[in-house]
Amino acid sequence: MAVKVVPRYGNTLKEKSYIWAVVAGMKLTLKNFTTNLSDTSCIPTCEYPETQPSDITDRYRGLHLLTKRDDDTVRCVACFMCATACPSECIFIEAQERTDGVDEKEPKTFSIDLLECIFCGYCVEACPCDAIRMDTGIFSIIAATREEFIVDKEKLLSHTGIFGKENSLAQ
Amino acid sequence: MHLFMILFPIMLTLIFSLVTIPLLVWMERRVAALIQNRLGPNRCNIKGMRLGGIIQPIADMMKLIFKEEFYPAHIKQKFYYILAPGIVFGAAFLSFIVVPYADDITLDGFTYHIQALPIELGILWFVAIASLGVYGIIIAGWSSHNKYSILGALRASSQVISYEIAMGLAIVSFLITYDSISLNTMVQAQGELLFGFIPAWGIIMQPLAGLIFIVTAFAETNRAPFDAPEGESEIVAAYHTEYSAMKFALFFMGEYIAMSASSAIIVTLLFGGYQIPFLNTQVMHQHINLVLIALLILVPLLSMGFIRWMQKNNSCDLSHRRETKYATILITVFVICFESFLFYLLSSGLSYEQSSVGIMILQILSFAFKVMLMNFVFVWVRWTFPRFRYDQIQHLGWKILIPLALLNIFFTAIFVILAGV
Repeated sequence: MAVKVVPRYGNTLKEKSYIWAVVAGMKLTLKNFTTNLSDTSCIPTCEYPETQPSDITDRYRGLHLLTKRDDDTVRCVACFMCATACPSECIFIEAQERTDGVDEKEPKTFSIDLLECIFCGYCVEACPCDAIRMDTGIFSIIAATREEFIVDKEKLLSHTGIFGKENSLAQ
Repeated sequence: MHLFMILFPIMLTLIFSLVTIPLLVWMERRVAALIQNRLGPNRCNIKGMRLGGIIQPIADMMKLIFKEEFYPAHIKQKFYYILAPGIVFGAAFLSFIVVPYADDITLDGFTYHIQALPIELGILWFVAIASLGVYGIIIAGWSSHNKYSILGALRASSQVISYEIAMGLAIVSFLITYDSISLNTMVQAQGELLFGFIPAWGIIMQPLAGLIFIVTAFAETNRAPFDAPEGESEIVAAYHTEYSAMKFALFFMGEYIAMSASSAIIVTLLFGGYQIPFLNTQVMHQHINLVLIALLILVPLLSMGFIRWMQKNNSCDLSHRRETKYATILITVFVICFESFLFYLLSSGLSYEQSSVGIMILQILSFAFKVMLMNFVFVWVRWTFPRFRYDQIQHLGWKILIPLALLNIFFTAIFVILAGV
């Protein structure tokens, strides 16, 4: 077996004196400083509340939404798959019989406690009928009380996805 | 007038040490941000006026003042616990007061020293008082009764024994060169010209001792790359782990005053103190009108440059560019007033005493500019280099800096004897 000789650095006087390394480091940071100071548009950060991020991808997991059928009724069949898959147990579903003949079951209440939710997306993956998604693109959720963080069925149904149907994780 | 001229340098000391703290905090955060390709604090404002983020340190200060004074229950030596931040702050503050801000000035037959403590043994005072600061850190670490704090205190003591000797030896070379321990005499000597065209600054006369002094001054202030006693990543915040509110703020302010004081001493010893290059006090007295004309040209040019930079780069203005507009108007009005004042001075001519006062103001401004530049270097170094391990600091101090400083003294002494100065 051939022995691979790894070159060792740092033993010459030039490297041991550190002066050149120090100068090179200082030069680099000074260059960054002067370019950014003379033209602040070089800085890649964005001024957040005024400038919203423009790079949210279609796989981004934002606030949840409940999708609808073509006839504008709720797609969810209250199968409890999402609530079962949820690792933080933040989905609360109460089922009831569906009387309009479209399906057999529908959720009477469907609420998500956003303070518990860890936005893992397991509910979206678990859903057999693509009823819950996280493609609203909403990442900033603000409320004044704990109760307001529990979003109910009506609120979830009112959200619209910013990306097309074909981007669903379930399908 | 007499009383004012005596109190004036003390006032200057207060300005240079205390008033610069918010400025330094602001500079630290802004420079760090720009080096790391960010913008830094720019949100705090009073009615939309952000002043480039300088409101932020004021808000931070208010927060620290109004926080609860919390005393951890496990602390047994409460006296030392409270004393420690005072020592750090006091030592940093006192080490500042021997620095000369301008040349001696003669008014109404009296000669005033523009030094808060006009003693001849300036540099010895600095060495004596500045090294007291580390006692504050050691006492804080010990009285905090906490493993991390003790480790921080240990590191501080291991650091202090490794750099102080090198610092003292570097200063000895300067004493041999200037043949004086009075800081003002040293600065006056640096106003001369070497070979007729290079300012005889300390860094040119003694480059090696200058380098050693700068390195050890960085260690003296406990700033990166020598902030092993603080070591946030390994030992939490070491000596100030158990401190909160104003007690913490005293440590924090002490660090910045120490940085400012070190900058002032570095500038005084190495970069000509208050001297404007090529223009020492006598030359300025002879050509006072030329100096005024130079100011007449320079001030509007610099202000114009600043206004153009501000209009280009103050884009994230919260008040719909009102701030930029007001600042432009304010600077323009100031420049016009200043220019008309200079015209008045030029037309009426200056008496000897008036020009002395003018020169004093110019020298103070020159000193302030140099100190701020040196502070910038402190910040710049902090955001460039990683921290030394504490055995590396000892290696650097004992095996590199001390032999180099001794050699430097040796050769300086030989040169001085052979040259027969």
